Amino acid sequence: MAPVTYLEAIRQGIWEEMVRDPAVFCIGEDIGVYGGAFKITEGFLNFFGKERMVDTPISEAAIASAAFGAALTGMRPVAEFQFMDFISSAHTQIANAIAKANWRWGAPAPLVLRGPSGAGVSGGPFHSQNPEMWYAHTPGLKVLCPATPTDAKGLIKAAIRDNNPCIFFEHKYLYRRVKEEMPEGDVVVEIGKARVHRTGHSISVITYASMVYVAEEAAKTLAQEGIELEIIDLRTVAPLDEQAIEDTVKKTNRVIVLHEDNRTGGIAGEIAAVINERAFEALDAPITRICAKDTPAPFSPPLEKWFLPNAGDVVREAKRLMAY
Amino acid sequence: MKSKIETKSSKKSSSANGNAAGAKAVPGRAPAIHTSSNGGKSNIMQPLRMNPHGIPDYRAEVPNFTTTDEWVDGKYHYTVKGDFDAPVPAIRESKYLTKERSVELYRWMVLNRKMETALENLFKQQKVIGGVYLGLGQEGCSCASAMALSKTDWIAPMIRNQGAMLVRGFRPAETMMQYMAKVGSPTKGRDSGSHYGDVHDKNCVAPISHLGDSIPVCAGIALGARMQGKNIACLTYVGDGGQSTGPAYEGFNFACVQKLGVILIMEHNLWAYSTPVELQFACRDLADRAIGYGCPGMIIDGTDPNQVYDITHEAVERAYRGEGATLIEAKMMRMKGHAMHDAALYVPKPYFEYWKKRDCITRFEKYLLDRGWLTQKQNEELIKSVEDQINKDRDLAEASPFPNPEDAATGVFLDNSVKIPFKYGPPKVKKVEKTAKLDEASNVSHYK
Repeated sequence: MAPVTYLEAIRQGIWEEMVRDPAVFCIGEDIGVYGGAFKITEGFLNFFGKERMVDTPISEAAIASAAFGAALTGMRPVAEFQFMDFISSAHTQIANAIAKANWRWGAPAPLVLRGPSGAGVSGGPFHSQNPEMWYAHTPGLKVLCPATPTDAKGLIKAAIRDNNPCIFFEHKYLYRRVKEEMPEGDVVVEIGKARVHRTGHSISVITYASMVYVAEEAAKTLAQEGIELEIIDLRTVAPLDEQAIEDTVKKTNRVIVLHEDNRTGGIAGEIAAVINERAFEALDAPITRICAKDTPAPFSPPLEKWFLPNAGDVVREAKRLMAY
Repeated sequence: MKSKIETKSSKKSSSANGNAAGAKAVPGRAPAIHTSSNGGKSNIMQPLRMNPHGIPDYRAEVPNFTTTDEWVDGKYHYTVKGDFDAPVPAIRESKYLTKERSVELYRWMVLNRKMETALENLFKQQKVIGGVYLGLGQEGCSCASAMALSKTDWIAPMIRNQGAMLVRGFRPAETMMQYMAKVGSPTKGRDSGSHYGDVHDKNCVAPISHLGDSIPVCAGIALGARMQGKNIACLTYVGDGGQSTGPAYEGFNFACVQKLGVILIMEHNLWAYSTPVELQFACRDLADRAIGYGCPGMIIDGTDPNQVYDITHEAVERAYRGEGATLIEAKMMRMKGHAMHDAALYVPKPYFEYWKKRDCITRFEKYLLDRGWLTQKQNEELIKSVEDQINKDRDLAEASPFPNPEDAATGVFLDNSVKIPFKYGPPKVKKVEKTAKLDEASNVSHYK
């Protein structure tokens, strides 16, 4: 089978779940006749019918809440946000009604809120955000950030089958830039389990989404000097795979946490705290984090380049850690 | 502040409008019944006038006063201008309620009020944790509207619709235990007051504190039901304050666009905490918004349970026929403060005096006694039975213990082994071939 893009993998995942389970339907802006702004659902309307491909007015609050209401009747909606930057317009509904539903009044909310996030495409402040922490910080939500096509397909399937609200961040930089052959059959990736992207013994790089490839690029450079990075792809940002974090730190004793989200309040701080709790004795050096600057995502290419972490940052920090 | 003096009209307009007066009976529901003690056609529940924008108005009177502000001795306060001497109108006759159903409605309202009186007493005895929010004067709106639903419909009450929750099948003890934070409460002490619901058989959405958010949820419930082959009615409420929020607009707009059976009762009770409606919105009748939403809208007297029942019933029938959403503006008054801690000193006294004379329970009691649907003795027995019920439930609630701290950790996530059922049956959607191939997505993109 030919390799497929990260975007196509998500498409396949949603398609397969919709064929498999009539409870699954899509709701969002321009997902029907247009097939979605990024064409994730192209062709779905003709095949599945209008009832299962609901084009909405421009209202993220209505999209999220209506998905919740439909879930209360036992449907399993997949709600699309045209850009995850706009999920903030549904924040009240997600953080208050949806996230607390099962805990508060025993009402399951088996829904998926998905859309493109991330920078690197000159999207500017409102088309480049990484909003995962608002939701990782809210009890009751699962937050998924795949890096590979296989994981994107496996995790969207897992999210749709999960009885809980899952926020699924698709990194738009990766949409058409990464390709992989899909495994045969119905492969579902377990939510809450990290993956070893590259084994190594010198330094653990704990990362996710687009930064997995930045780490990979840095790993190639560092390998020439005998520094072998171990790259852990979290895949799920909430709940964190604390065991995988502990295991890799105990193996290498040096750690870089790398993410594209802003530095302050990003998951790196949380991960550093977890390492402190579970593997402090194993550390040979302080925990290092490499993140985007604490500014909104700038638009102009040289500004965006300054804003984002790059392989050079990882190489520099890795050498500093080895010399500690 | 601008003045809103309006001409008072007491004439019944005989010109018909396009309301759904002739709705057919739906199998399994109570047939349309016209009862009238004098057989006069003028008693039929139909609009008595149109407002300046053509919205049908069922009220027997149009109140003629407005809140304004003034400075007195360096202090700012609200005052009223207008006519408070109008005679109290009679309850209008219902087109649909039988004698039995009318007495049932009365009992729900009495139960609602006595439950809230008990809550007030429990609050004063410091047995309640946090605030108590009462719907005094609004019992008719809550109870009558909830009675118009079938068991398979959904309701999303707000804080002053505790009567609606009683009609849906929750007992007074459950609301009391909620307020007292006891383990026996429907949320096991995890949330307070009327912040509870039930997804299994009472079909009641637990409210969140943010206002207007129940509306898009109702649209989604009706959407899910429709996918499962059923046009249901989904009743929710919003106050004159709550309707100011974005989600209130966004949710109801979506319901109207999709022709989903969301029935939105805008409870125009004149005060949102300390904010009079003159500071809340610039139009006079909230029902005018129906024009903008593209759905039927009507104005009713929220203190007349028959108006509330009939108009909600007709909206429910419309929902079942797949004709979509309805916006009902129920005009009334919030007879207490926002909560027990709020003495409502900012409300000019004439409001309370005027609306107290129009109390839904006092007037409905008189209505039933006058037409012989209730005797004095039966009334006394009914009230005593309600009081006994409240006492029993209060004792039950007081006896319930506090929850175990450790139990608060459960339920953040639902285990994936649980099978979530379809509420109305498997979706009735286009059949798909399991063997169909997925074509390649188009390569069009704004980004490389």
